[in-house]
Amino acid sequence: MKNLLGMFEKAMSKKITRRTFLKGAATGAMMIAVQNLFLRKVLAIDETSTGRPKSGIKGDYDLVLAEGTDPYQNTIKAVESMGGMERFVKKGGVCVVKPNIGWDRTPEQAANTNPSVVAAIVDMCFKAGAKKVNVFDNTCNESRSCYEHSGIQKAAQERGANVFFADDWNVLKAKFKYKSPMEGWPVLRDAIACDTFINVPVLKNHGLTGLTLSIKNLMGVCMGNRGMMHVDIGRKLVDMTDFINPDLTIIDAHRVITANGPTGGNLADVKVYNKLIAATDPVLADAFASQLVGINPMNISYIKMAVERGLGSADFTKAKTLDLKL
Amino acid sequence: MKLLVSIRRFSQVFFLLLFVYILWSTAYPLKGKLLPDTFFKADTLVMTFTAVSERVILPGIGIAVAMLLLTLLLGRFFYGWICPLGTMIDIAGQIRKKRGKAVHSLRFFKFIILACMAVLAFIGIQAVWIFDPIVVMTRFVALNLIPFTTWAVTNSMIFITKTFDLFGTDFYEIFRTLRQSLLGVKVYHFSNAMHIFYFFLFVLVTTFAYTRFWCRNICPLGALYAVIAKFSLLRRYVIKCAGCKRCISFCRMGAITNGVNYIKEECVLCMDCVYDCLSNETYFAFPFLRKKPEHVKLITEDKTGGVTRRQFLMLLGTSVFLPVFGKLGYALNRNLSSSIIRPPAAQKEEKFLNSCVRCGNCMKVCPTNGLQPVMMETGLQGIWTPKLVPEIGYCEYNCNLCGQSCPTGAITRLTIDSKRGVKLGCAEINKKTCIAWANNDQCIVCEEHCPVPAKAIKLMTENIGGKKVLKPYVVEDLCIGCGICQNKCPVSPVRAIRVNPVFADRK
Repeated sequence: MKNLLGMFEKAMSKKITRRTFLKGAATGAMMIAVQNLFLRKVLAIDETSTGRPKSGIKGDYDLVLAEGTDPYQNTIKAVESMGGMERFVKKGGVCVVKPNIGWDRTPEQAANTNPSVVAAIVDMCFKAGAKKVNVFDNTCNESRSCYEHSGIQKAAQERGANVFFADDWNVLKAKFKYKSPMEGWPVLRDAIACDTFINVPVLKNHGLTGLTLSIKNLMGVCMGNRGMMHVDIGRKLVDMTDFINPDLTIIDAHRVITANGPTGGNLADVKVYNKLIAATDPVLADAFASQLVGINPMNISYIKMAVERGLGSADFTKAKTLDLKL
Repeated sequence: MKLLVSIRRFSQVFFLLLFVYILWSTAYPLKGKLLPDTFFKADTLVMTFTAVSERVILPGIGIAVAMLLLTLLLGRFFYGWICPLGTMIDIAGQIRKKRGKAVHSLRFFKFIILACMAVLAFIGIQAVWIFDPIVVMTRFVALNLIPFTTWAVTNSMIFITKTFDLFGTDFYEIFRTLRQSLLGVKVYHFSNAMHIFYFFLFVLVTTFAYTRFWCRNICPLGALYAVIAKFSLLRRYVIKCAGCKRCISFCRMGAITNGVNYIKEECVLCMDCVYDCLSNETYFAFPFLRKKPEHVKLITEDKTGGVTRRQFLMLLGTSVFLPVFGKLGYALNRNLSSSIIRPPAAQKEEKFLNSCVRCGNCMKVCPTNGLQPVMMETGLQGIWTPKLVPEIGYCEYNCNLCGQSCPTGAITRLTIDSKRGVKLGCAEINKKTCIAWANNDQCIVCEEHCPVPAKAIKLMTENIGGKKVLKPYVVEDLCIGCGICQNKCPVSPVRAIRVNPVFADRK
């Protein structure tokens, strides 16, 4: 104790000259400045993006419905009858497969996209000559457990895909040509900077929108306070679809949560449909999927809004449809 | 070539790195080979005193007893060779080398601390966490060192990537892989972490007074080992002393009284004196292997700064009054404890405060960073215990890691299935700020995120001006109080749905 006090006394009794004081003050100011510059650079989101341009690639059919017990084969056959993955994937390009990995649930509980569907798409992308296939989602639960328990991480990684967690700092500000409530919203760079965007949602019940479908699935490329997107959700999701412009939409409807979605968890709520929908028009795919579970597409806010905006057509009776039975 | 010193230094660095590694791998999958409580099992003080105060046999107490037996054989080797805090103090001591007087008179102080803790343990209060070296070190590494390192590395990488526009290059891929494996996806932040750091810094700075100030005078684990090391077998022999007093001035523990004699209980077997000896006649050996030289006698009679048996018993007696002050604290703060959310399956409050050693393992392992150290919200006796702050992170539905990593059983070990049913509290909706109730707008983020399969938050539809509005309400029986609704609620700064811990199971 005595020694400590002595040390303290010695330190306090030291005289501070003007020179020492100025030196100290200058060093302190420098450190604050450097720290400030560093943190500003790290935290800044200054780049903007006008989104992905519409590719306009059409399949042989507007919509393909594949029915069968094997999700992997369903996916392969559906895309093949669309004209094959070669049509959508640029050789040596970067492919983004955006499944729904939002929840810490097992494949049986069906809150996430079936891992076999993701695996099939990854396989096809590589076969079509893609250089890189990125699989990611901005999860709602803890990302590590979501990726692991959904089985998607393992399935996609085994096939050589690049599976990673959403980088919360690597975002761009969305910019729209028209006035939009999504103006300036942070969107993942990986979702925008790619050659092909394949949206792979899972069909399930949702409290607010009625159903979670491909347009709703695009919430997974947004960062920021996503809860705020729920206010006027239809408009915001449609703008997001217009921003991302998915090239291909593949809706997994093999196991469907019919109540207590979108988290589910109770196997009694899961109904087995064993169906898969593939389309180039996200609105058409969503409309078809919603009538599959007996809901009028026009009752779903974002489909209604998308049709009004002319983003796509919800009239699947006029669409060129193929019904595959496997 | 100082062979023994080299081996000792290697052992110190090895155990320090092992210690950091164990805490580093105390993260989400928790599938490391070494469990997060490995060092605590070897920490005799925490193990035995918690066992006494809580009247339970903790798993792994055998290792603690084995450490005692080893001490009986070798002396206080734990301090010189293993203790990570001792290593840190040694490293800090390199900055300002100040030798202490031989056999400093303050050394009795650690026995007083030990005696107080022993009395408290017998009457059911566990207070070893205050000064236990493993606890101090774990708290520092888990809540200060690792979060700071990951923060600094992650942000530097982000800075480089952004400045040189390295998106999509190999550097970026390496960073991403690193972040998903070694660094961890999340950069952890702990509220009040600065106070924990100050406490640790204080422990280190004491070494500037003289070497190993903390280990000589304060450390209660050292006192416990010292009591036993008095009878240890391995001892120091000086065959021929030239009287140069080098060993006396270089001894980090100040254990050598004169060239030939030393206080056995203070020796940490650092082996410095073997090589400091100019006549090269100092060695350590077991008496049954070597014949004791005639002229050497061990000074155990020299009681400078030591505590006699009578003094020790007196101390034990007088410290009976300590809990009176403790109880005073409880009485004053009785209502505070219910205001915070404890981790899932934490014991009842008083028992929890007793068994929790404030090591920070649960906060380190929590995958959402929701467990935070408490400062003074539950009174002085609750300092640095964990609480769940749903605004920062919620309690993950499929996770039981906090219980798995708790070394003393303050948080019960549960299987994931049984943890899912544990109630931390109950959510309450504030209808004055809720977007759906107050503004009649679309929201129900809380209902969407509710992880209970049957949904503890249900919806009612109201027709307002031709517009259908979904309004959430909480079903109290189903709600487990995990706090994900509070975490995701878009209303800020005060969430429109909050978990009230009053309804927790543990009450």
